[in-house]
Amino acid sequence: MPDNVLTVRNVSKIFLPSIVALESASLEVRPGEVHCLLGANGAGKSTLLKIIAGAFRPTGGELAIGGQPVELRSPADAARHGISMIYQELDLVPQLTVEQNLFLGHAPTRMGIIDHAERRRRANEALARVGARFRPDARVETLSVANQQLTAIARSLTMDAKVIIMDEPSASLNETELKSVFEVIRELVRQGVAIVYVSHRLGELREIGDRVTVLRGGRTIGTYSIEETSDTALVEAIIGKQRSLIERKPRKPVTGDTALRVNRLRGAEGLDIAGLEVRWGEVVGLTGLNGSGRTSFLKALFGAHHFDGEILLEDRPFHPRHPADAIRRGVGLVPENRKTEGLVLHAPIYKNATLPSMRSSWLTRHKLQKERTVPVLKSLSTKYGKPEQAVVQLSGGNQQKVVLAKWIINGARILLLDEPSRGLDIGAKADLYDLVDKLAEDGAAVIVASSELEELYAACDNIWVFHEGRNIGRYDPANTDRDAILRATILGEQHV
Amino acid sequence: MSKTATPSVEAPYPPIGKRLADMAIEYNFIVIFLIVVAVATMLSDNFLTFANVANLFQQAAVVGVVAIGMTFVILTGNIDLSVGSVVALCGMLVAVLMQNGFDPFVAVAITALIGTACGAAMGAISALAQVPSFIVTLAGLVSFRGVTYLLTDGVPVSGLPKGFSAIGSTMVPVLPGFAISSMGLIFIGLCIIAGIVLRLTVFGEYVFATGGNPQAARLSGLPTRLMITAVFAVSGFMAALGGILLTSRLRIGQPTAAQGLELDAIAAVVLGGTSLFGGRGGILGTFFAVMLLQVLRNIFNLLGLGSFYQMTVTGIIIVAAILLNRFIDHRKGRE
Repeated sequence: MPDNVLTVRNVSKIFLPSIVALESASLEVRPGEVHCLLGANGAGKSTLLKIIAGAFRPTGGELAIGGQPVELRSPADAARHGISMIYQELDLVPQLTVEQNLFLGHAPTRMGIIDHAERRRRANEALARVGARFRPDARVETLSVANQQLTAIARSLTMDAKVIIMDEPSASLNETELKSVFEVIRELVRQGVAIVYVSHRLGELREIGDRVTVLRGGRTIGTYSIEETSDTALVEAIIGKQRSLIERKPRKPVTGDTALRVNRLRGAEGLDIAGLEVRWGEVVGLTGLNGSGRTSFLKALFGAHHFDGEILLEDRPFHPRHPADAIRRGVGLVPENRKTEGLVLHAPIYKNATLPSMRSSWLTRHKLQKERTVPVLKSLSTKYGKPEQAVVQLSGGNQQKVVLAKWIINGARILLLDEPSRGLDIGAKADLYDLVDKLAEDGAAVIVASSELEELYAACDNIWVFHEGRNIGRYDPANTDRDAILRATILGEQHV
Repeated sequence: MSKTATPSVEAPYPPIGKRLADMAIEYNFIVIFLIVVAVATMLSDNFLTFANVANLFQQAAVVGVVAIGMTFVILTGNIDLSVGSVVALCGMLVAVLMQNGFDPFVAVAITALIGTACGAAMGAISALAQVPSFIVTLAGLVSFRGVTYLLTDGVPVSGLPKGFSAIGSTMVPVLPGFAISSMGLIFIGLCIIAGIVLRLTVFGEYVFATGGNPQAARLSGLPTRLMITAVFAVSGFMAALGGILLTSRLRIGQPTAAQGLELDAIAAVVLGGTSLFGGRGGILGTFFAVMLLQVLRNIFNLLGLGSFYQMTVTGIIIVAAILLNRFIDHRKGRE
């Protein structure tokens, strides 16, 4: 058996104060293999990759390259050790040429001046190895995504990478493009390069991978030979026997009329949702892998993304072209990223909370704004000093409550929550879902999108699974096996 | 790292000394202004006289009025480079209109309307086509100056009606023995109105929110594109007023006037503590910064030092004030 080119042993990563991103991850990569990495959202894949690529320093555990223990201080340090990371969004400079990108940061020079002839020679060499059919002086922005992918791989080669890490390379490629990238991968593997390949799609792993390591909850569950392991066994390893962190409270049957009915909604990037409805008093969960269309769907419903289709809100047509249209009809969105989309961070709490509801008058009535803010924040049990305090000083959970307060103050009755619990600790999460429950009990219609099925399972009346832009199945958590839902999220087929 | 006592939530009233210190930091531009005034008073006996103070306001008025509009624009995170040219264009336009027999009132109204339209058009292009306002207003800077020259083929316009020059130069007694020109009063009055608009109206609130976080503002249903158009309209309107006041004071429409005025206005706004990234600042700062720059110019004149010294020292003071603000931001932990 060949020696490992890369060994990761019991690596952990704790983000202060207390978020454990990685508990104990191990990975052994041999030269000349395609080693796949699998895991549900939040299993710790990205953290592990960043540690290997030198972007994060591990809290504990050790790394060895070619049998020698190493400490990687920076991405540049990792590159010197022969580890190269290709991020999903391909960190190339689109305005520069292919050869400039290939040698960015390590261009061959002679007396401080770039040696163009040498660079061209080595660029052609690297491009030939990936079978590129474009010129080294082409601008990267003019290339197709597949060719950009090849450029990124070629860049790894110019740095003499022994291990190339590819984070979901298939996300933006079509079938044929993926095939050509796979051919390049096979050729590189034949030359002794090791590839760490991350993807959610089992079919792809079967086509390209040799072995697979599964992560779950920040731990390595095991490494398997792909050929000898069935889909069922792999999904089993990804899902595991889950303990419920948030308890599911028995929910009363929903009796309300239909609040919102999406007959058909088609948007950018293949978003195509049909037959999804929410009733008053109902909490509907949306789950799916990253990029499955949850966020785009909510943004479209809120008028922030363009869409075609037919939606009924209280039996009247609903086609918002601007968030203001949706807000007027009583819809509110808690966006995915509260810091960049939800709040004006340096503005006072009460101004943030009353921002959507100010439009009805000409003059600001600070006193009235505060009077309306304080009881709502209290009913959400928000912890804060004074309503004049800048919202940036609050903790994540309390910031999220201010975003929620915006819509409650404005009288929204249809609430769209996109990853509302992101970055919150367990206590704050449970708190948040208690609120969701209370809002629904008061008659609001709620849609919650989350990558954490666990939470939806505890809080929702119904869960829709999104897969590659489509809603593929609806499940009642009260009588559905959790694993069935997870299986559908990963495999994209309905197994009921 | 030094250990500091955690501020107690229970004690809403810190000692008076600390509160004064906090206010001095928050309104540091006033402190700087007072220091410069004190130094100026010591350096020259002629500085703190009624005549000189009235003079200060008269001279600060044009830049000051333009800087008010600029404050609105910068609060949304944009910039308006065209104001100098719009001042010149409107200053000429009002003169040309009156020369062609328009009543001064009508001429002023038309000019103000056209200035507002110029601003609104640039704002709308920037907001709708998603072009940085820097570029759109740079184009405005060049074109509007061109139009100004085209109006009379570059020839100044004189022989304006007597009543028109009264707009800027009527002396209004505000205290016994102290009269201030109407221009200065217009500047002060507009500052108060702008302050009220920014502090007390929903429009003002939207300006801050649009600049503070455009994404969050849009997702809260704010008409962010309309807001951008509106602040540029305000800036265009203020520049038109600046042009009218300038022509009224000079009693002549001068096509080469107000070159580089946009930079003076931007310097004043930034010196007054308004963040170039938007969302933070206000009119009070702009007012004091305009006056501060005017006092500097004034004291150099009184001391008989040439404009070369003025320019050098003004630049140094601007950099020092900005560094001070960065330092304060850093201390407060808002990077």
